[in-house]
Amino acid sequence: MEIFQHPFLYPILLPLASGLLCLLLPKILSRVSGWIAVIISAFTVYLVWPLFMSEPQTLDLIANFSFKVDKLSGFILLATTIFGFLISLYSLGFMKKKIYQNKYFAYLLWTIAAACGALLANELIILLSFWGFLGFTLYLMIALGGAQASSAAKKTFIIIGATDSLLILGIGLVWIITGSTRMDGLAIPLNHPHTYIAFLTFAIAAFAKAGAMPFHTWVPDCGEKAPTPVTAFLPASLDKLLGIYLLARTANDLFVMNWAMNTLLMVVGATTVLLAVMMALVQHDLKRLLSYHAVSQVGYMVLGIGTGIPIGIAGGLFHMLNHAVYKSCLFLCTGAVETKTKTTDMDKLGGLAKVMPITFICCLIASLSIAGIPPFNGFASKWMVYQGIIDAGKSSGGLWIIWLAVAMLGSALTLASFVKVLHATFLRKPSAEVKQNTIREVGLSMTIPMIILAVTCVLFGVLAYRLPLNHIILPAVKDTVAFTGIWWAGPATFLLLVGIIVGFVLYFLGNKGKVRMVSTYIGGESLPADEEVTGIDFYKTIQDINPLNALYKMAEKNFFDIYDVGTKFIFLFVEGLRHVHTGRLPWYLSWVVGGLLILLIFLRS
Amino acid sequence: MNHLIPLFIAVPLGAAFFIPLVSRHVKWVPDVFGNLTMFSLAAMSFYTIGQSEVYHLGAWQTPIGIDLRLDGLSSLLLIAINVIGLAATLYSVAYMRIFTSKLRYYSLFLIMVTGMNGVVLTADLFNLYIFMEMAAIASYALVGFGCEHEELEASFKYLVLGSLATLFVLIGVALLYGMTGSLNMAQVATSMQSAAQAAQGTMAKPYIFALGLFICGFALKSALVPFHAWLPDAYQSAPAPISAMLSGVLTKTIGVYVLARLLFNVFGISQQLLLILQILGALSMVVGVLLAIGQWDMKRLFAYHSISQIGYVVLALGLGTPLGIIGGLYHLVNHSVFKSLLFLNAGAVEYSTGTRDLKRLGGLNQALPITGKTSLVASMSIAGIPPFNGFWSKLIIIIACVQAGYYWLAAWAVFVSLVTLASFLKVQKYAFLDAAKMALAKIQHTPFFMGLSMVVLAILCVVTSLAVLSGFDAPVLIAPAADVLIKGLITL
Repeated sequence: MEIFQHPFLYPILLPLASGLLCLLLPKILSRVSGWIAVIISAFTVYLVWPLFMSEPQTLDLIANFSFKVDKLSGFILLATTIFGFLISLYSLGFMKKKIYQNKYFAYLLWTIAAACGALLANELIILLSFWGFLGFTLYLMIALGGAQASSAAKKTFIIIGATDSLLILGIGLVWIITGSTRMDGLAIPLNHPHTYIAFLTFAIAAFAKAGAMPFHTWVPDCGEKAPTPVTAFLPASLDKLLGIYLLARTANDLFVMNWAMNTLLMVVGATTVLLAVMMALVQHDLKRLLSYHAVSQVGYMVLGIGTGIPIGIAGGLFHMLNHAVYKSCLFLCTGAVETKTKTTDMDKLGGLAKVMPITFICCLIASLSIAGIPPFNGFASKWMVYQGIIDAGKSSGGLWIIWLAVAMLGSALTLASFVKVLHATFLRKPSAEVKQNTIREVGLSMTIPMIILAVTCVLFGVLAYRLPLNHIILPAVKDTVAFTGIWWAGPATFLLLVGIIVGFVLYFLGNKGKVRMVSTYIGGESLPADEEVTGIDFYKTIQDINPLNALYKMAEKNFFDIYDVGTKFIFLFVEGLRHVHTGRLPWYLSWVVGGLLILLIFLRS
Repeated sequence: MNHLIPLFIAVPLGAAFFIPLVSRHVKWVPDVFGNLTMFSLAAMSFYTIGQSEVYHLGAWQTPIGIDLRLDGLSSLLLIAINVIGLAATLYSVAYMRIFTSKLRYYSLFLIMVTGMNGVVLTADLFNLYIFMEMAAIASYALVGFGCEHEELEASFKYLVLGSLATLFVLIGVALLYGMTGSLNMAQVATSMQSAAQAAQGTMAKPYIFALGLFICGFALKSALVPFHAWLPDAYQSAPAPISAMLSGVLTKTIGVYVLARLLFNVFGISQQLLLILQILGALSMVVGVLLAIGQWDMKRLFAYHSISQIGYVVLALGLGTPLGIIGGLYHLVNHSVFKSLLFLNAGAVEYSTGTRDLKRLGGLNQALPITGKTSLVASMSIAGIPPFNGFWSKLIIIIACVQAGYYWLAAWAVFVSLVTLASFLKVQKYAFLDAAKMALAKIQHTPFFMGLSMVVLAILCVVTSLAVLSGFDAPVLIAPAADVLIKGLITL
């Protein structure tokens, strides 16, 4: 079979087969499965490297079985497999002594395989099949979290599965409209209701996978309950890559966008940025907080792609890549904290900076990145998105000022919420619950991925143009990208560093030895020994502001959760139908007779 | 002449009477003979692939003798009936120990199989009625096999509504015989066609009446809404392997198959009839699934899903397009695999824990690993998740709806598949993922034969999805079966 020797198929078939092997391994050999996953995922990176480097190429196996790689899918493919490798390396440490190791690594490899398949597909049906399978592996991996994760797994899979089904409808429509389901030839103009519906089904599938509003509600639940590496890999990085890939594909290649649809994307993006970050501000659980940020950041990507301007699209894609880097770094840091302290509740953490310095520094860099502080990578991509928004505003309407304001406000609130995270987890007085003296830094297999990701945050920020943009992002955008704003990362970083050094010098010259140590006080009164200032309560005041308090109350009652609202709606009908089914035989007999009569009358006509 | 054809009726019928004769005092005989019979039938059924012929029983020519007709469609159904039947008998070896009389059980089971094999093979309307009644009466008895209050009530309800269907069908057969003077399907089809041509395309009133009675009768047998009321009670109360047979193959054979055969091959399909099928299918899909998601009894939940899934099949057939018919028949096969597996899972859960109430179950992934894994496969299949078989047939059906221009039906099918997914995730959550609510030590292990049968069906859930790789161009199973319906009226 020569067709099985094609380089396109190895990254799909190899992890698939080795995943099956992991699943079939006996329990005693469960450590082996972790090493299989590490080796195979590293090898997959090696396999996709030539695909990433190559010019766009297509492979037609048999009729309706076509694969393709281009610059867009090539770079996401590479990113996916690298994340897969980092996560399996990290999991080697995290999953130690867990009983479900074999299953976990099997599902991880399957996820990598299916993601490669979805990215390489040049046929909508193949894309859909791998896409659906990804939903299934996501469900299986969340379900590994045990009984407490069962609700989150169910909810996630219902939302993802529902949007996958919608995608079938969209693909059917595309097939009818164009007579083909090959992706490389499509460029459907939006001119008929059917094309709009088809576009929307694709966009909704992308939103649900990436976690944009209103299909985001599975992300926080999943982030809180699923094992941490699962969250770091799936909702935080891989699902973003895939969701935004689909959105970019849909908006740039499959359909020809118009003003209305671009505006729709921008509305979704802006809403997601703002509302999710507001929810993130008031969270107590570290993982849940990070998950809300994972939703909020999607908003920037959607905003970028929604501009329809090359620089905005490039910014959206760049932000997707950056987000995957810093958000998985943040989740891995959380996982490190969780491994040592057995909790992710910020009320119970504190003072970990001294005992876990590597984790703290990685977390600090990632936090500054997500908050969009220059010169880190988050700033570089947000800056491009802002330019895209401003550029888009030149040609159409005055709405751009709203999107820009929302995006910037979202960025500020993100910073606020990460100040809380850093303070509560690492900096404040050690809490009573966590015994400081027993905690050490986590092992090498867990720190290496964190360090790699943190270093990437810095590199992608400082060398934004020279490294990622030039080689990865800009070739993936169809048109040439014109930078309207000015930002020289190199000199700016230099100036920032100089500023910091000067500050240090002044501090050491002026104040060294003059620091006065006093006990903690609040409002002029010194604090009793049994009370703590956590900083967390400070953020609770947001919930009391009018009219935000009403919104927060509604959010608490799941009023904005499409899953809960949908469930209630469906059960209205269920109750109605149950009411009719009385279980009495004569009543049922009358249905039969009635049915027969209607049938005969209909046939006579 | 292929002499295998009558054996599909003769072998199970003979075995049904042979087993009680020899096994009064030897306990192992019913198990061994029952399984051997089903095994040989299942093996034989694969020899019918690609064959089509009219078999004249005793070499008597039509219309004097009795004809059996083997074609792509009956071959497909034969394989489904006998393979699922084999899985059910394998399962029964262990499961039916909790009931008293295995001997009567196997006897009735084989009579039911005889009836179903007869229905798909016969080329004669009256024989169709006879075989249908054999299968139906055996199934009334099997539903009530537990002889407790609940089982008997379900059986009685099923009996009353089933007899009504029988009555409709018998009157329909009589009308057709009176009008055409023949009972052979091909001859009836030809005479009706010439009568319609003579009357400039309009159908005479007795024909219309017969048509209405047939649709109503077989809709009752296939439990389409609003004729579905007997089904939930019957499936819930029957022993698990019988629920698997009823849902997996019986309603399809004596319901959907006959309906399709009569409408497409005997009466000749028309836009009006297609519309009826679409309405019945669409109603069943949504009513079934909405009733299912509210249930807490595992078997009852699955039972309502049968209504919904049969709705998919009928809807797809009602599109009338080649793609729709392929999708419908493919879904029919897939459904018989995954739904019988689901009922066997429910039986295994009840066998081990003593309850089917989802509110009292939990943690079964640890306690019953085989049941847990196979039920996950079956649930994903019915919910239409790749790479399992249900995904592909659902995909084809939805795309066929779009292709035929019925966008709302496509959206309808998407909605139903969403609720289906939700209700099966509910089952997975409450029965298998959640924390155990009963002491795990109390849970009995799954016996070997039950496990074996479930694993075989779970593998079939994946294997049947390979059919999609052939692109339905290859002349195996589904394409020839669809051809039979697409070609329309049959001739001698």
